[in-house]
Amino acid sequence: MMVLELLQSLSEMQLVGDLTVLSLLIGGIIMAGGIIIAKIAKLLFHKYYAPSLPKGTAQNISKLIYFGILIISFLGFTSSQGIDLSGIMVAGGIFAVVIGFATQSVISNLISGIFLIVEKPAKPGDTIDLPDMGIFGTLLSIGTFSCKVRKFDGTVIRIPNEKFFTSNIRSLTLSTVRRADVMVGISYDSDIENAISIMKHEILRTMPFVLQIPEPEFRIEELGDSSVNIHVFVWHPRDDWSQAQPILLTTLKRALDQAGIEIPFPQRVIWTGKD
Amino acid sequence: MRTMSDDSKNTFSNYGVYDLVDDLELSLPNTLIKFQRISDNAFSYFRENSEGKIIEKIIPVKSNDIKIELAPIRPLNHPARRTNYVFLKFDKEIHIGENSAASIFVHCPIEIGIFLIHNNNYESLDWVTCNPLNSRFGLYGLPDTGTLCKYAQVSLATDYDDSISYVHGVLQIVIENTLSFAQTISKVIFSITDNRLYYEDSKTIIDGIKITMKKRASVNFADVNTTPVETDWTASPTWEGEITSKHMEMELE
Repeated sequence: MMVLELLQSLSEMQLVGDLTVLSLLIGGIIMAGGIIIAKIAKLLFHKYYAPSLPKGTAQNISKLIYFGILIISFLGFTSSQGIDLSGIMVAGGIFAVVIGFATQSVISNLISGIFLIVEKPAKPGDTIDLPDMGIFGTLLSIGTFSCKVRKFDGTVIRIPNEKFFTSNIRSLTLSTVRRADVMVGISYDSDIENAISIMKHEILRTMPFVLQIPEPEFRIEELGDSSVNIHVFVWHPRDDWSQAQPILLTTLKRALDQAGIEIPFPQRVIWTGKD
Repeated sequence: MRTMSDDSKNTFSNYGVYDLVDDLELSLPNTLIKFQRISDNAFSYFRENSEGKIIEKIIPVKSNDIKIELAPIRPLNHPARRTNYVFLKFDKEIHIGENSAASIFVHCPIEIGIFLIHNNNYESLDWVTCNPLNSRFGLYGLPDTGTLCKYAQVSLATDYDDSISYVHGVLQIVIENTLSFAQTISKVIFSITDNRLYYEDSKTIIDGIKITMKKRASVNFADVNTTPVETDWTASPTWEGEITSKHMEMELE
């Protein structure tokens, strides 16, 4: 009875217009309940679902759940207060247009971030090359407004999502294997078939990360000024670039030196006229 | 319990369990392994392989009940662990007639694991390959969608006794052609993490595989499955913590 009387008296205590202490109390309970539910939902998501999702995606879904519940709670709060939202909607629409023009790049980055999460052109941990921007490194995260890439010199660069989304992205992680290539020149006196056989044997003998299938490939690229230029291609597991590209020329030079095959350097014969 | 002199046919150490009391020296082709007691509670480990690579470790021990097991392991670790798949290219093609089956034995590369055993717990201490030139990678399929495999060109074996000590185990392959036309097979690709290895002295056998050539809708393909071998040889401990059992389907040639 005491509680009912208390609620009755609260409902009769008007603050502004039809707004009473009781309706404000109910609204407060709805908002507090919404915040608690949002926090619990966020916590449960992080505990049970986030570990199986990519880090960036988990963060974004977590924010979506949290703020989604808060917005629903706020709508519940406004309707419990008998607030007519139609006026607010009109004002909000005008406000949104103004804000939209003012924060065009922010919204663009936000939308691009959502598209990046949906399309997944690259995921955190991938090695990527952005040739338009001259950025080459490891993608660290795709955030709400920007992506972070750690370049191979150790520095971290922040790229707005819109720029990242609209640029060409070359992924070095999506393929199982990658190809390394170098150019080597041999003298015109050398037997080309023999030189290729020697180089191939040395690659397969001393470079354990070079794939045997597909085999190393040798293309006569050019009959140059001083040498016959051979383009050498080898495949390697995608993460073992450092075991292939940087040591390929060393391996080829060693093989050619041991076989006595000359690697010529440019020579110029100068004829001097008689006095 | 094995000792260094168990193998009378060669000077190399046999597979098996060795007591680690004081100093212990194990010899494999192109590889030397030494254990030395450096204190009451510690041993040193030294290994040098054919490429001149030296590995040295200190092994602290709590009890005197320490043993070493030398055993063949799957050929997945040299030069680095990158895949669970093995690509065996046969030196001769196998022709299988329509609606028929055949059983062959092939030499499959192996590596050798050195395991530390204390209180019946196995710990992988090191691994070696006695034939690094036959421990290479190959790709099955296209660069973007293919399967990275350990690749080896292998010869046919006569039977399980035809194992090449320390280098190759023997793998039985049963090939069944359920198609209405003959087929030729020159390679097999399979996930070897489902195959156990067994040893006796210096010989190794490996759980077999069965290749079934069949038709699904309008596509002909080869289905590859593991078939456990029944043997009284000693099962080798494995040290791959993560066992993935992904079914393999090959395109027919």
